[in-house]
Amino acid sequence: MTQHSKDNTDLIESFRLTLDGEDHTVPIAAGETLLQAALAAGIDAPHLCTEGRCGTCLSWLRNGEVNMESARALSPRNKERGYVLACQSRPSSTAPIWLDFDL
Amino acid sequence: MQIGTIDSVWRYPVKGMRGEEVPHIYTAYTGVMGDRIYGVVAADGDPGHPWHTGRDQEEFLLYKASYTSSEELLLPKNLDATYSEWEPGIDPLYPDANEFKVNVETPEGVTYDDIEDPAFIADLEKLTGRSLRIHTTQRGIFDARPVSIFSLSAAAKLSEEMGMDIDKRRFRANFYVEWDNQADPFYELSLVGKTLKIGDWLEVVIVERDPRCTMITLDPDTAEATPKLLQHLARNHRGDAGVFAAVLQRGRVNKGDPILLK
Repeated sequence: MTQHSKDNTDLIESFRLTLDGEDHTVPIAAGETLLQAALAAGIDAPHLCTEGRCGTCLSWLRNGEVNMESARALSPRNKERGYVLACQSRPSSTAPIWLDFDL
Repeated sequence: MQIGTIDSVWRYPVKGMRGEEVPHIYTAYTGVMGDRIYGVVAADGDPGHPWHTGRDQEEFLLYKASYTSSEELLLPKNLDATYSEWEPGIDPLYPDANEFKVNVETPEGVTYDDIEDPAFIADLEKLTGRSLRIHTTQRGIFDARPVSIFSLSAAAKLSEEMGMDIDKRRFRANFYVEWDNQADPFYELSLVGKTLKIGDWLEVVIVERDPRCTMITLDPDTAEATPKLLQHLARNHRGDAGVFAAVLQRGRVNKGDPILLK
Protein backbone atom coordinates (compact mmCIF):
# COMPACT_ATOMS: atom_id res chain seq x y z
CA MET A 1 0.00 0.00 0.00
CA THR A 2 1.35 3.44 -0.95
CA GLN A 3 1.63 5.78 2.07
CA HIS A 4 1.21 9.56 1.81
CA SER A 5 1.49 12.05 4.71
CA LYS A 6 -0.19 15.22 5.97
CA ASP A 7 -0.57 16.96 9.36
CA ASN A 8 -4.00 18.47 9.91
CA THR A 9 -6.82 16.13 11.00
CA ASP A 10 -10.52 16.28 11.71
CA LEU A 11 -12.81 13.28 12.04
CA ILE A 12 -10.31 11.04 10.36
CA GLU A 13 -6.64 11.50 9.57
CA SER A 14 -6.52 9.45 6.44
CA PHE A 15 -8.56 7.15 4.28
CA ARG A 16 -8.03 4.18 2.02
CA LEU A 17 -8.32 4.79 -1.71
CA THR A 18 -8.25 2.19 -4.45
CA LEU A 19 -7.42 3.16 -8.02
CA ASP A 20 -6.13 1.02 -10.88
CA GLY A 21 -5.87 -1.91 -8.52
CA GLU A 22 -3.52 -0.07 -6.19
CA ASP A 23 -4.34 0.86 -2.61
CA HIS A 24 -3.28 4.20 -1.16
CA THR A 25 -3.50 5.67 2.32
CA VAL A 26 -4.51 9.27 1.74
CA PRO A 27 -4.15 11.93 4.46
CA ILE A 28 -7.09 14.28 4.65
CA ALA A 29 -7.30 17.70 6.28
CA ALA A 30 -10.32 19.26 7.94
CA GLY A 31 -12.82 20.49 5.38
CA GLU A 32 -11.24 18.71 2.44
CA THR A 33 -13.25 16.57 0.07
CA LEU A 34 -12.01 13.08 -0.62
CA LEU A 35 -11.08 14.19 -4.13
CA GLN A 36 -9.15 17.23 -2.92
CA ALA A 37 -7.22 15.06 -0.51
CA ALA A 38 -6.45 12.50 -3.22
CA LEU A 39 -5.21 15.13 -5.65
CA ALA A 40 -3.16 16.81 -2.94
CA ALA A 41 -1.50 13.46 -2.33
CA GLY A 42 -0.53 13.30 -5.99
CA ILE A 43 -3.02 10.62 -6.95
CA ASP A 44 -4.41 10.81 -10.48
CA ALA A 45 -8.00 10.47 -9.31
CA PRO A 46 -10.50 10.88 -12.16
CA HIS A 47 -12.28 14.23 -12.08
CA LEU A 48 -13.48 17.02 -14.33
CA CYS A 49 -15.99 19.60 -13.12
CA THR A 50 -15.47 19.15 -9.34
CA GLU A 51 -18.98 20.55 -8.88
CA GLY A 52 -20.97 17.33 -8.73
CA ARG A 53 -22.30 17.70 -12.24
CA CYS A 54 -20.28 15.51 -14.59
CA GLY A 55 -20.02 12.32 -12.55
CA THR A 56 -16.40 11.62 -13.47
CA CYS A 57 -15.35 11.13 -9.83
CA LEU A 58 -18.05 8.52 -9.26
CA SER A 59 -16.65 6.02 -6.82
CA TRP A 60 -17.74 3.33 -4.40
CA LEU A 61 -17.73 4.17 -0.72
CA ARG A 62 -16.93 0.68 0.45
CA ASN A 63 -16.68 1.77 4.04
CA GLY A 64 -17.28 4.88 6.12
CA GLU A 65 -19.67 7.79 6.02
CA VAL A 66 -19.61 11.04 4.08
CA ASN A 67 -21.72 14.12 3.53
CA MET A 68 -22.20 15.25 -0.04
CA GLU A 69 -22.81 18.91 -0.71
CA SER A 70 -24.39 18.05 -4.05
CA ALA A 71 -25.19 14.80 -5.76
CA ARG A 72 -26.61 16.00 -9.05
CA ALA A 73 -24.73 13.44 -11.12
CA LEU A 74 -25.66 10.56 -8.85
CA SER A 75 -28.62 8.48 -10.00
CA PRO A 76 -30.87 6.68 -7.50
CA ARG A 77 -29.43 3.38 -8.76
CA ASN A 78 -25.90 4.52 -8.00
CA LYS A 79 -26.91 5.85 -4.58
CA GLU A 80 -28.36 2.44 -3.74
CA ARG A 81 -25.08 0.85 -4.77
CA GLY A 82 -23.26 3.01 -2.26
CA TYR A 83 -21.59 5.15 -4.90
CA VAL A 84 -20.59 8.73 -4.14
CA LEU A 85 -19.10 11.71 -5.92
CA ALA A 86 -15.62 12.13 -4.49
CA CYS A 87 -15.56 15.84 -5.33
CA GLN A 88 -18.56 16.43 -3.06
CA SER A 89 -17.76 13.99 -0.26
CA ARG A 90 -16.43 14.97 3.15
CA PRO A 91 -16.06 12.57 6.07
CA SER A 92 -19.06 12.73 8.42
CA SER A 93 -18.00 10.27 11.10
CA THR A 94 -14.92 8.69 12.58
CA ALA A 95 -15.61 5.43 10.74
CA PRO A 96 -12.70 4.42 8.50
CA ILE A 97 -13.26 5.37 4.88
CA TRP A 98 -12.47 3.16 1.91
CA LEU A 99 -13.09 4.81 -1.46
CA ASP A 100 -12.82 2.63 -4.55
CA PHE A 101 -12.57 4.14 -8.04
CA ASP A 102 -12.28 0.74 -9.72
CA LEU A 103 -15.95 0.39 -10.62
CA MET B 1 -10.35 20.83 -49.38
CA GLN B 2 -12.33 17.72 -48.54
CA ILE B 3 -11.47 16.37 -45.12
CA GLY B 4 -14.15 13.78 -44.56
CA THR B 5 -17.60 12.36 -45.14
CA ILE B 6 -20.88 12.24 -43.25
CA ASP B 7 -21.23 8.66 -41.99
CA SER B 8 -24.69 9.08 -40.57
CA VAL B 9 -27.22 11.70 -39.51
CA TRP B 10 -29.05 11.46 -36.21
CA ARG B 11 -31.67 13.29 -34.21
CA TYR B 12 -33.16 12.73 -30.81
CA PRO B 13 -36.88 13.56 -30.70
CA VAL B 14 -36.89 13.53 -26.89
CA LYS B 15 -33.91 14.78 -24.96
CA GLY B 16 -32.26 11.85 -23.21
CA MET B 17 -34.15 9.12 -25.06
CA ARG B 18 -32.88 6.89 -27.86
CA GLY B 19 -32.06 8.68 -31.11
CA GLU B 20 -33.06 7.88 -34.67
CA GLU B 21 -30.87 7.72 -37.75
CA VAL B 22 -32.31 9.56 -40.74
CA PRO B 23 -31.18 9.61 -44.38
CA HIS B 24 -31.01 13.38 -44.58
CA ILE B 25 -32.01 16.35 -42.50
CA TYR B 26 -32.45 20.09 -42.66
CA THR B 27 -30.13 21.92 -40.32
CA ALA B 28 -31.09 25.42 -39.24
CA TYR B 29 -29.33 27.97 -37.07
CA THR B 30 -31.22 26.30 -34.26
CA GLY B 31 -29.87 22.87 -35.11
CA VAL B 32 -31.08 19.70 -36.74
CA MET B 33 -34.76 19.57 -37.61
CA GLY B 34 -36.70 17.58 -35.06
CA ASP B 35 -33.75 17.28 -32.71
CA ARG B 36 -34.62 17.31 -29.02
CA ILE B 37 -38.03 18.87 -29.53
CA TYR B 38 -39.30 17.38 -26.30
CA GLY B 39 -37.75 17.21 -22.89
CA VAL B 40 -38.92 15.97 -19.51
CA VAL B 41 -38.48 18.60 -16.81
CA ALA B 42 -38.00 17.50 -13.21
CA ALA B 43 -39.36 19.79 -10.51
CA ASP B 44 -36.39 18.89 -8.29
CA GLY B 45 -33.88 19.16 -11.14
CA ASP B 46 -30.85 21.40 -11.21
CA PRO B 47 -32.02 24.94 -12.04
CA GLY B 48 -29.45 25.07 -14.80
CA HIS B 49 -30.18 21.60 -16.16
CA PRO B 50 -33.66 20.57 -15.06
CA TRP B 51 -33.98 17.69 -17.54
CA HIS B 52 -34.79 14.17 -16.52
CA THR B 53 -32.38 11.96 -18.47
CA GLY B 54 -30.31 8.82 -18.18
CA ARG B 55 -28.30 10.64 -15.56
CA ASP B 56 -31.29 10.22 -13.27
CA GLN B 57 -32.83 7.02 -14.62
CA GLU B 58 -30.42 4.96 -16.68
CA GLU B 59 -33.18 3.11 -18.58
CA PHE B 60 -34.58 6.43 -19.83
CA LEU B 61 -31.93 6.07 -22.53
CA LEU B 62 -33.75 2.97 -23.82
CA TYR B 63 -37.08 4.70 -24.34
CA LYS B 64 -37.82 4.83 -28.07
CA ALA B 65 -39.25 8.11 -29.25
CA SER B 66 -40.51 8.36 -32.82
CA TYR B 67 -42.27 11.05 -34.77
CA THR B 68 -45.68 9.95 -35.95
CA SER B 69 -44.98 11.85 -39.19
CA SER B 70 -41.24 11.26 -39.31
CA GLU B 71 -40.87 11.71 -43.08
CA GLU B 72 -42.60 15.08 -42.93
CA LEU B 73 -40.11 16.35 -40.39
CA LEU B 74 -36.89 15.91 -42.34
CA LEU B 75 -37.07 18.91 -44.68
CA PRO B 76 -39.25 22.04 -44.68
CA LYS B 77 -41.78 21.79 -47.50
CA ASN B 78 -40.79 25.11 -49.06
CA LEU B 79 -37.05 24.54 -48.78
CA ASP B 80 -36.37 24.72 -52.53
CA ALA B 81 -38.28 27.98 -52.81
CA THR B 82 -36.27 29.59 -50.04
CA TYR B 83 -33.03 28.61 -51.77
CA SER B 84 -33.90 29.59 -55.32
CA GLU B 85 -36.08 32.64 -55.01
CA TRP B 86 -34.58 34.61 -52.16
CA GLU B 87 -31.06 35.82 -51.65
CA PRO B 88 -29.13 35.04 -49.57
CA GLY B 89 -31.76 32.54 -48.45
CA ILE B 90 -34.50 32.89 -45.87
CA ASP B 91 -35.72 30.74 -43.04
CA PRO B 92 -38.08 28.12 -44.46
CA LEU B 93 -41.50 27.49 -42.99
CA TYR B 94 -41.35 24.79 -40.35
CA PRO B 95 -44.21 22.35 -39.88
CA ASP B 96 -46.86 23.43 -37.40
CA ALA B 97 -46.17 22.50 -33.81
CA ASN B 98 -48.85 19.81 -33.76
CA GLU B 99 -47.04 17.95 -36.55
CA PHE B 100 -44.15 17.22 -34.20
CA LYS B 101 -46.17 14.55 -32.43
CA VAL B 102 -44.02 11.88 -30.81
CA ASN B 103 -44.92 8.39 -29.70
CA VAL B 104 -42.91 6.57 -27.07
CA GLU B 105 -42.18 2.93 -26.34
CA THR B 106 -40.73 2.03 -22.98
CA PRO B 107 -38.09 -0.71 -22.51
CA GLU B 108 -40.90 -2.89 -21.16
CA GLY B 109 -42.82 -2.54 -24.41
CA VAL B 110 -45.51 -0.15 -23.14
CA THR B 111 -46.42 2.32 -25.89
CA TYR B 112 -47.88 5.79 -25.71
CA ASP B 113 -49.23 7.25 -28.95
CA ASP B 114 -48.46 10.75 -27.77
CA ILE B 115 -45.78 11.76 -25.28
CA GLU B 116 -48.13 14.52 -24.18
CA ASP B 117 -50.68 11.94 -23.10
CA PRO B 118 -50.94 12.57 -19.31
CA ALA B 119 -50.64 8.82 -18.78
CA PHE B 120 -47.03 8.89 -19.97
CA ILE B 121 -45.89 11.41 -17.39
CA ALA B 122 -48.06 9.84 -14.70
CA ASP B 123 -46.46 6.44 -15.28
CA LEU B 124 -42.96 7.93 -15.39
CA GLU B 125 -43.57 9.81 -12.16
CA LYS B 126 -44.77 6.63 -10.51
CA LEU B 127 -41.68 4.79 -11.73
CA THR B 128 -39.16 7.42 -10.70
CA GLY B 129 -40.81 9.10 -7.72
CA ARG B 130 -40.16 12.50 -9.28
CA SER B 131 -42.50 15.35 -10.14
CA LEU B 132 -42.17 15.66 -13.92
CA ARG B 133 -43.67 17.53 -16.85
CA ILE B 134 -43.23 17.64 -20.61
CA HIS B 135 -41.61 20.65 -22.23
CA THR B 136 -41.75 21.13 -25.97
CA THR B 137 -40.34 23.54 -28.52
CA GLN B 138 -39.87 23.37 -32.29
CA ARG B 139 -36.31 24.64 -32.09
CA GLY B 140 -34.43 22.10 -30.04
CA ILE B 141 -33.38 21.54 -26.44
CA PHE B 142 -29.63 21.13 -26.64
CA ASP B 143 -27.35 21.65 -23.68
CA ALA B 144 -24.70 23.85 -25.20
CA ARG B 145 -24.66 24.21 -28.98
CA PRO B 146 -27.06 23.32 -31.78
CA VAL B 147 -24.94 20.73 -33.61
CA SER B 148 -22.64 18.00 -32.33
CA ILE B 149 -20.08 16.06 -34.35
CA PHE B 150 -18.20 12.89 -33.45
CA SER B 151 -15.94 10.72 -35.56
CA LEU B 152 -15.90 6.99 -36.10
CA SER B 153 -12.12 7.09 -35.65
CA ALA B 154 -12.53 8.53 -32.16
CA ALA B 155 -14.93 5.71 -31.25
CA ALA B 156 -12.50 3.15 -32.69
CA LYS B 157 -9.52 4.63 -30.83
CA LEU B 158 -11.41 4.77 -27.55
CA SER B 159 -12.42 1.15 -28.10
CA GLU B 160 -8.77 0.25 -28.58
CA GLU B 161 -7.66 2.21 -25.52
CA MET B 162 -10.42 0.77 -23.34
CA GLY B 163 -10.14 -2.79 -24.63
CA MET B 164 -13.88 -2.95 -25.23
CA ASP B 165 -16.30 -1.96 -27.95
CA ILE B 166 -17.27 1.67 -27.52
CA ASP B 167 -20.43 2.22 -29.54
CA LYS B 168 -20.49 5.60 -31.28
CA ARG B 169 -24.09 6.05 -30.14
CA ARG B 170 -22.88 6.67 -26.59
CA PHE B 171 -21.85 10.12 -27.78
CA ARG B 172 -25.28 11.12 -29.08
CA ALA B 173 -23.99 13.24 -31.96
CA ASN B 174 -26.05 14.71 -34.79
CA PHE B 175 -23.38 13.95 -37.37
CA TYR B 176 -21.08 10.97 -37.14
CA VAL B 177 -18.21 11.51 -39.52
CA GLU B 178 -15.38 9.63 -41.19
CA TRP B 179 -12.24 11.75 -41.50
CA ASP B 180 -9.87 11.36 -44.43
CA ASN B 181 -7.03 12.02 -42.01
CA GLN B 182 -6.81 8.71 -40.20
CA ALA B 183 -3.49 9.60 -38.60
CA ASP B 184 -5.27 11.55 -35.86
CA PRO B 185 -8.21 9.57 -34.48
CA PHE B 186 -9.46 12.66 -32.68
CA TYR B 187 -9.05 14.96 -35.67
CA GLU B 188 -12.26 16.88 -34.91
CA LEU B 189 -10.66 18.32 -31.78
CA SER B 190 -8.15 20.14 -33.97
CA LEU B 191 -10.91 21.84 -35.92
CA VAL B 192 -12.04 24.24 -33.20
CA GLY B 193 -12.26 27.67 -34.78
CA LYS B 194 -12.46 26.26 -38.31
CA THR B 195 -15.36 26.52 -40.75
CA LEU B 196 -16.65 23.44 -42.52
CA LYS B 197 -18.97 23.08 -45.47
CA ILE B 198 -21.11 19.96 -45.35
CA GLY B 199 -22.93 18.93 -48.48
CA ASP B 200 -24.11 21.61 -50.88
CA TRP B 201 -25.33 24.17 -48.40
CA LEU B 202 -24.60 23.74 -44.73
CA GLU B 203 -21.74 25.69 -43.23
CA VAL B 204 -20.76 25.35 -39.59
CA VAL B 205 -18.03 26.72 -37.43
CA ILE B 206 -16.55 24.34 -34.91
CA VAL B 207 -16.99 26.24 -31.68
CA GLU B 208 -15.54 24.07 -28.96
CA ARG B 209 -14.78 20.61 -27.72
CA ASP B 210 -17.59 18.64 -26.15
CA PRO B 211 -16.95 18.08 -22.44
CA ARG B 212 -18.58 14.84 -21.41
CA CYS B 213 -20.57 13.55 -18.46
CA THR B 214 -22.05 10.28 -17.22
CA MET B 215 -24.33 9.90 -20.26
CA ILE B 216 -21.48 8.38 -22.28
CA THR B 217 -20.98 5.68 -19.66
CA LEU B 218 -24.37 4.17 -20.52
CA ASP B 219 -24.57 1.38 -23.08
CA PRO B 220 -27.11 2.53 -25.70
CA ASP B 221 -28.63 -0.96 -25.91
CA THR B 222 -28.70 -1.99 -22.25
CA ALA B 223 -28.23 1.22 -20.22
CA GLU B 224 -25.58 -0.60 -18.22
CA ALA B 225 -22.95 1.84 -17.00
CA THR B 226 -19.22 1.69 -17.63
CA PRO B 227 -17.87 4.47 -15.40
CA LYS B 228 -14.35 3.59 -16.54
CA LEU B 229 -15.03 5.23 -19.89
CA LEU B 230 -15.57 8.67 -18.40
CA GLN B 231 -12.64 8.13 -16.05
CA HIS B 232 -10.47 7.23 -19.03
CA LEU B 233 -11.62 10.25 -21.00
CA ALA B 234 -10.88 12.55 -18.07
CA ARG B 235 -7.44 11.14 -17.39
CA ASN B 236 -6.31 10.84 -21.01
CA HIS B 237 -8.32 13.26 -23.13
CA ARG B 238 -9.21 16.14 -20.79
CA GLY B 239 -12.76 14.80 -20.67
CA ASP B 240 -13.53 15.88 -24.22
CA ALA B 241 -15.00 13.76 -27.02
CA GLY B 242 -16.36 15.26 -30.22
CA VAL B 243 -17.05 18.90 -30.92
CA PHE B 244 -19.87 21.40 -30.94
CA ALA B 245 -20.70 23.49 -33.98
CA ALA B 246 -22.70 26.63 -34.67
CA VAL B 247 -24.49 27.05 -37.98
CA LEU B 248 -23.39 29.82 -40.34
CA GLN B 249 -25.43 28.76 -43.37
CA ARG B 250 -28.51 26.56 -43.15
CA GLY B 251 -29.00 23.59 -45.38
CA ARG B 252 -29.81 20.00 -46.09
CA VAL B 253 -27.34 17.33 -45.01
CA ASN B 254 -27.31 13.82 -46.47
CA LYS B 255 -25.67 10.62 -45.36
CA GLY B 256 -22.48 10.40 -47.43
CA ASP B 257 -22.12 14.15 -47.96
CA PRO B 258 -18.55 15.41 -48.28
CA ILE B 259 -17.11 17.63 -45.56
CA LEU B 260 -14.90 20.45 -46.77
CA LEU B 261 -12.54 22.64 -44.77
CA LYS B 262 -13.05 26.24 -45.85
